[in-house]
Amino acid sequence: MDWNLVLISAAGLGGLGLIIGIVLAIASVKLAVKVDEREAAVRAVLPGANCGACGFPGCDGYAAAVASGSAPLNKCSVGGASVARSIGEIMGQEAGAVEPMVAVLICRGGKDVAPARFQYKGAADCRHAALLLGGPKACVYGCVGLGHCAKVCPFGAITMGRNNLPVIDEKKCTGCGNCVRGCPKGTLLLVPRSKLVVLACVSHDKGKAVKDVCRVGCTACTLCTKVCPAGALTMVNNLPVMDFEKCIDCGICVHKCPTRSFIDRARGRPKAVINPRCTGCQACVRACPFKAIEGEPDKQHKVLADKCIGCGECRKVCPAEAIDMVGALGHAHPGKAA
Amino acid sequence: MSAPSRWKYFADGIIKENPVLILMIGLCPTLATSVSARDALGMAAAVTFVLVGSNVVVSLIRKVVPGSVRIPIFIIIISTFVTIIDYVLQAYQPALYRVLGVFVPLIVVNCIILGRAEAFAYGHGVFDSLLDALGKSAGYALVMLVMGSIREIFAAGTWFGVAVTPAWFRSAPVLFMIFPPGAFFLIGILKGIVNRLTAGKV
Amino acid sequence: MNPAKILMGAFLVNNIILMRFIGLCPFFGVSTSLETSFGMSAAVLFVMMLAAWVSWLLYHLLLVPTGLVFLRTAVFILVIAGLVQFVEMVLKKYMRGLYSALGIYLPLITTNCAILGVTFLNIDYRFNLLQSTLFAVGTALGFALAIILFAAIRERLEDSPISPSFKGYPIAFVGASLVSLAFLGFTSLFGISL
Repeated sequence: MDWNLVLISAAGLGGLGLIIGIVLAIASVKLAVKVDEREAAVRAVLPGANCGACGFPGCDGYAAAVASGSAPLNKCSVGGASVARSIGEIMGQEAGAVEPMVAVLICRGGKDVAPARFQYKGAADCRHAALLLGGPKACVYGCVGLGHCAKVCPFGAITMGRNNLPVIDEKKCTGCGNCVRGCPKGTLLLVPRSKLVVLACVSHDKGKAVKDVCRVGCTACTLCTKVCPAGALTMVNNLPVMDFEKCIDCGICVHKCPTRSFIDRARGRPKAVINPRCTGCQACVRACPFKAIEGEPDKQHKVLADKCIGCGECRKVCPAEAIDMVGALGHAHPGKAA
Repeated sequence: MSAPSRWKYFADGIIKENPVLILMIGLCPTLATSVSARDALGMAAAVTFVLVGSNVVVSLIRKVVPGSVRIPIFIIIISTFVTIIDYVLQAYQPALYRVLGVFVPLIVVNCIILGRAEAFAYGHGVFDSLLDALGKSAGYALVMLVMGSIREIFAAGTWFGVAVTPAWFRSAPVLFMIFPPGAFFLIGILKGIVNRLTAGKV
Repeated sequence: MNPAKILMGAFLVNNIILMRFIGLCPFFGVSTSLETSFGMSAAVLFVMMLAAWVSWLLYHLLLVPTGLVFLRTAVFILVIAGLVQFVEMVLKKYMRGLYSALGIYLPLITTNCAILGVTFLNIDYRFNLLQSTLFAVGTALGFALAIILFAAIRERLEDSPISPSFKGYPIAFVGASLVSLAFLGFTSLFGISL
């Protein structure tokens, strides 16, 4: 047994290990990178989903930008107002308001109302399918329905429904916008959660061209622009564009649209009820867009509950304050980041 | 710890936490050395030796090794055992050593061994670490046996050197299985079968 | 040996991943996206060259003269681990851009079979320093080729309808088998049989 060899190899290996250890220890001190404490603190309050909604590369990127002062403090839509507040506390500044957003599908053309043009047998992704002559649907503007949005949602809030349309779980959606950015057709839109009425069509065709390819597509009949009491709708390129500031979410356009191209996100609508203060002036009978009020002159008027959609137009014109809106307006889910 | 749960450390490694097919670690030598059943088991034996040795030693000294330098210490321990088995094979099994080639010293970076040292031996007692090492080694050997056998039967018509297929098969064997593509293909199919069998259970 | 043959041999004929099976863990782990594959390839090239030099020098100038050849396993792996950690610190301090691109891959490479494999193969083939460098560069380029090709394939596989039990690893392995089959065609290219 050559003890010399054992000794030399033990010493050699030990010495090598020691040298490496010393070099690394010195290096870790000399090459230390100063870490911004505030960056670490901001990063700690961020949700860590790395969804990119803020516009920065992941939560690390946003924390770095906030700490260096090059990013607004309220950009995290997943964390919402509470995270913005926390960031504000760390940075010693006021964070701006965060309007909670939610993703909404602005196309109602499921496979039952919007037929296909050809059978598509390629890679099962909307982006691939959309490259092929605009997609397998007869309507080239509409949702392709192969589930790219479901794949890119970091929160698992989107599933594909039986109709080949994505179903967005508003409880899980954080408004990060990944699905909106990923959709090749632009049929997903980020909408403020408080917004209840949204146009669900993106087709720029009109009339027969739309009816041929989709039963619920907007045919640019312009009826909605005429019945809107707030003047919030204007036709642009064969589609009614809604001014969110003006819209009062009354829901008249939803029911007046002949192709049912609007969606009403409210989970419940009130109904008008006429109380005994009614003077029988018939102002409400004339004002109701749906002819849901019947009444003889000078006699108590009555609202036909099954026709009433709760738009409140009658209440606006009643001189006797005789109309009450009964039942709450069911606001859409406020989201987690309220 | 009661007796039944102790044996769990051993039993898990064979099927439930099989290193190659479930944990997906230690793939390199699996594909490279499973050309025949005998070579495959030879490799499994070498890995067993190193895994058992390193798990036991790491577990023995776990209380005196500070956390920050544990990885280099593990590596030194593992490389010691690898060097031992390297020279043992060179001396007593030269044919096997030639087949295994560069994969013998590469055992030192085999994810299974470093992984088990870090994930298990560092935090458990000696007997439990021994059981864990034996379990994982048994699981590894099982996979190696299956792969080596299939590849040998298809590519040479023999099993452990003994002819098990008719002569007409042996005269026109499926060489695809000996070459790298065959190895990839085989493990893909095996993993697919494993996924099917464990669907919903894992 | 002809330098061009060493380079070609390491790059195509005996591609380290598809022919030698060395470096599979990062191959399957990192090739899920094209971007990460590029990053990993760059990191591997960088570390592989450094490791080849350092290990060759240590082997021929230290271990052989002192008769401590049997320590090569321990020495190589220790030096590579220390080297990678040192490089990571240097990058983090002086080359922030490169660090954010490659930094996360460096710890993964430390126990990468490919790096250590190259150092051992350099000894087995009795290469001199120049030949070792060429072999390391060729191997790293072969690694890059294999991983980038495979990442492109896997990205397409993501969207294909595959039965649930084959999604992920199984179909990736079968895909690798087909790519490997293609590389098998390079056997005896230019008469190389490394």
